[in-house]
Amino acid sequence: MSTRAAQLPANAELNGQVRGPGVGLRRVLGRDYRLGYLFVVPGAVLVLALVAYPFCYAIYLSLTRKYVGVPPVFVGLENYVKLTFDGFFQRAVVNSFIFTFGSVAVKTGLGMAMALVLTSNIRFRGFFTGVLLIPWVAPTVVTALNFLWIFDYSLGVLNYLLVRVFHLLPRGVGWLSEPGTAMASVIAVNIWRGFPFFGISFLAGMKGIPAELYEAAAADGAGPLQRFRYVTLPGLKNIVIIVLLLSTIWTFNDFQIVYILTKGGPGGATQVLPVFTYEMAFGAQRLGEAVAVALYMLPALAFVIIVLARYMRRGQAK
Amino acid sequence: MNPLNKGLAGRVQAVGAYGFLVALLVIVLFPFYWMTITSLKSEDQMRSLLSMFWPSPVVLDNYRQLLTRTDFLAWFGNSATVAISSTLLATAIGTLGAYALARLRFLGRAFMASAVLITYLVPPSILFIPLYAQMRNLGLADSLAGLIAAYPSFTVPFVTWLMMGYFETIPEELEEAAMIDGATRFGAFRRVILPLAAPGVLAGALYAFTQAWNEFLYALVFITDVKLRTLPVGLSTFITGDVYGWGYLMAGAVLTTLPVIAAYVYLQKYMVEGLTAGSVKG
Repeated sequence: MSTRAAQLPANAELNGQVRGPGVGLRRVLGRDYRLGYLFVVPGAVLVLALVAYPFCYAIYLSLTRKYVGVPPVFVGLENYVKLTFDGFFQRAVVNSFIFTFGSVAVKTGLGMAMALVLTSNIRFRGFFTGVLLIPWVAPTVVTALNFLWIFDYSLGVLNYLLVRVFHLLPRGVGWLSEPGTAMASVIAVNIWRGFPFFGISFLAGMKGIPAELYEAAAADGAGPLQRFRYVTLPGLKNIVIIVLLLSTIWTFNDFQIVYILTKGGPGGATQVLPVFTYEMAFGAQRLGEAVAVALYMLPALAFVIIVLARYMRRGQAK
Repeated sequence: MNPLNKGLAGRVQAVGAYGFLVALLVIVLFPFYWMTITSLKSEDQMRSLLSMFWPSPVVLDNYRQLLTRTDFLAWFGNSATVAISSTLLATAIGTLGAYALARLRFLGRAFMASAVLITYLVPPSILFIPLYAQMRNLGLADSLAGLIAAYPSFTVPFVTWLMMGYFETIPEELEEAAMIDGATRFGAFRRVILPLAAPGVLAGALYAFTQAWNEFLYALVFITDVKLRTLPVGLSTFITGDVYGWGYLMAGAVLTTLPVIAAYVYLQKYMVEGLTAGSVKG
């Protein structure tokens, strides 16, 4: 079989001129099956080995009692049942939702404001856009450590500013060490890191809305607010959905910021599921239960992923 | 929209817009400024709370200490090794796969295209325990090879997805023309499409590099040997809760940020385009 047969596949098939062993296969497997499979196989093997297999293994592990270095014992749904009635787990679930929805809501608002301002007629737009994206590309560990230092009770600059420079507070606050402020503080850090992605994505979406729509709306007497409501928002619908769902998945599974800033403390006030999973696995060494923690939200997560994947595929196939 | 906001209302709006942007700019840049000046302060100055916003005197002790008394340089090397290897791997595999999924016709293409996206969305917090078990069984736990092997689990789906979007922006007629001129499919891909896709490949590689450079959870779980840590995990072990550590910790943070920011400043155009063209295009 030569490369010639593969060269002009479409024409050859159309005219029915070429006959050979490759033609039948090509009809079943598709026009470019050889190059196609050749190109896809390395990625497919990796994904099977590094995502699909571990994922299935995770489901199995969650149905076992498994300690480090000891073979797993099958226990059915015991881990999930136990977790359902576990107060620490319940608290982590609630915290995860607060953390996720708190961050995503503010990131959406801030990102929208950023995009609106950057599409208006301002100078240095490239500069502003470039600088505002920095938190998104900077290493998350650096972000977390920076804020750990900024939030520091005795020597942190936030307390210094609030108490000594602006005299807004009589004395410093233990931002990360007091139950009342810890959650808000870790959410703030997540927002700081994540809002540029919202802004840039919304900005790209706004650029795709034809200017004529705005002009037509203005000609019909629509003010800025109405134009936003009836032109911008509908035009951004898809991208808003995609960004919201993406960020919901990422934020819900964000380990690093909470782990570095509070490790889930004080007293479990910021305990979220990923950190809980980690501590269950590598602190308590209970792997089966730890995986069950990670997988407990799987039905919800799978639903979000499938909806999101549909939107993203549609966007890309456009 | 621009011709519409003239006059006083427009001017008020403009002031509001710049005010908002400047406020955002301060919030975004302050932590980096603070990190940098902290890294240049002496321990005494930090403790005294004097001249809070400027190091006086400017000292390099923190950097000296970081580079000579800690394993920072080893960690930097580890991070570079892991990030560069897994980036090369992911870019090559992802680009080929994306081309096939975006352009070629074969059985299972649509399914695989969806699978790429779904794998990209599966969070590491679900995978890290079974992956760790897998690496242990393969004897790759506690080695950089284990991380190089594990990072493609997120970089390959990401690059593939991003490049699929990019290939779809290149007109199909270009390949067809090349093939009519006698090039094979592969020849057309290599000589016509790949050069055109170079900015996309660059964007993909940059993101793969940043993701690998910043990765924390796998590196924390897989590696126990102090010398084999990557930068993010290594840095986070500097947290002592004592004033003593902050100087060299921030020096380390500065040096960890520099490669990423330097790449970003030079290649910002590609990264912004890549982000908007490939990863999220609605």
